[in-house]
Amino acid sequence: MRLPAGTRDWLPEELRRKRALENTLRGVFERWNYVEVQTPGIERFDVLEMGIGETVVGKTFLFADRGGVQLALRPEMTTPIARLVSTRLREAPLPLRLSYVQTTYRYEEPQEGRMREFTQAGLELIGPESADADAESLFSAIEALDSLGLDDARFDINHWAIADAVLRHFEVGDDAIEGCKRLVADRNLVALRALLAEHGYESAIEPLVSFATMRGGEEVLERLRPLCGTAGGREALERLGDLLRRAAERGYGKRVGVDPSMLRDFSYYTGFVFEGFIGEVGFSLCGGGRYDDLLPRFGYDAGAVGWSAGVERLLLALERRRTGRQ
Amino acid sequence: MPLTIALPKGALYDNAAACLRAVGIAVPEDPGRKLTVEVPGGMRVVFLRSADVPAYVEFGAADCGIVGADVLWESERRIAELLDLQFGRCRLVVAGRRTDRYHEGAPLPTFLRVATKFVRSAEAHFADKDLPVQIVRLHGSVELGPLVGLSDLIVDLVATGKTLREHDLVEIEEIATSTARFIVNPVRFRAKYEPIVTLLRKLNAQAGA
Repeated sequence: MRLPAGTRDWLPEELRRKRALENTLRGVFERWNYVEVQTPGIERFDVLEMGIGETVVGKTFLFADRGGVQLALRPEMTTPIARLVSTRLREAPLPLRLSYVQTTYRYEEPQEGRMREFTQAGLELIGPESADADAESLFSAIEALDSLGLDDARFDINHWAIADAVLRHFEVGDDAIEGCKRLVADRNLVALRALLAEHGYESAIEPLVSFATMRGGEEVLERLRPLCGTAGGREALERLGDLLRRAAERGYGKRVGVDPSMLRDFSYYTGFVFEGFIGEVGFSLCGGGRYDDLLPRFGYDAGAVGWSAGVERLLLALERRRTGRQ
Repeated sequence: MPLTIALPKGALYDNAAACLRAVGIAVPEDPGRKLTVEVPGGMRVVFLRSADVPAYVEFGAADCGIVGADVLWESERRIAELLDLQFGRCRLVVAGRRTDRYHEGAPLPTFLRVATKFVRSAEAHFADKDLPVQIVRLHGSVELGPLVGLSDLIVDLVATGKTLREHDLVEIEEIATSTARFIVNPVRFRAKYEPIVTLLRKLNAQAGA
């Protein structure tokens, strides 16, 4: 009569709170003109594999149907939505604004506020590759947390092209650039030093370690400017500077910062990325970014930007707030 | 928000505490039975079993901590490893009985039994060498394994090699070197950026000195 590891029941009072939170988020999604969709809890693994990366593949619940077709419990929502958009909504006029509140599954050690079965709520904006779309994604996430009473949550933003430009600036070659990027993203500075030394990039060690510990506001962009010589790097700094200005105009100036090491998932992000967090919880509450290469993998040529939040993590954050425990 | 730092009790404690004192954080010489102390300057230090440090940091119960790399090898935790503190140096090695002469190239049994506390590291090492092994997880006195026929080999940490010599065991190969690391919770790195980066800078200067 036991439950499978990493799952839980929701008793009436707990479920009431969860539903209230989900409905508050739905209210925000509607205000931003997003319409809710639902996809199956199980997907064909060969389809999911087109979107999710190696790390998530390793955490996916897999099984076969009676015909031997390999199926998976969806480990995230972005790939199922990409499938949905590139098939059923292919003829729909762009931009498309879709939202979801769905259960997802990952076979991993339960983390704070995330068991093996957990709920993701999020938005996907399909079509525009503009700075406006990035801003819409970020500001809708800020409003979503605000609507829950987490109106002091902070958001760090970044752009993928920056790490590339900085690694090139310090003349890291193709033999180490991918490895360095992963170690920067993990902030594993010990292994970063070792990898650079191993490949003979001694002169890059101190500047890159310093890069991987940068974080702040407009001044970080200034510090990055001389290190971002590539066209992509310069454009990335422009985009982030523009976002910081827009955030300030909306009164979010103090809440939005730049963390040039934050890259998030390696399997589909291509540009702008962000995460939202509060001091009391050791995990980010929401996160997302631009993934212009994902839909083309499904044969549909459109860019996209989106974010998702872990519903149980949000509940935990609110609980911490209520009880004053860190 | 005060900074919470996790310190490992046990072998690393003296060095770790000295390291923090050297950067102006007044941690006691001996935590005794204390679980936590408030330190002037808005910091709190929690004293943990070494193997528990990564979990406290991952879950954000501590913002940052000091722990041996050997503990990190055995835990699959989302933490950021910011600095090699250089102390607590020891090596993870494969060892066997001198009389079995594996260290001189005597052929290993086709199915190896290996006793260790470092299960993940040992599994990874033998998988890399494509050697089928049975890992026997022990919690102490690993060196006893080959002496009583529990295992053919051991994988264990050595600092001076004294324990191996005392039991007539010899090192066959080195797997890795461990030193103490300064680790942080990745989100707290952002949420408490100023105090963490300040501490990192001081520790860095200290480790380089």
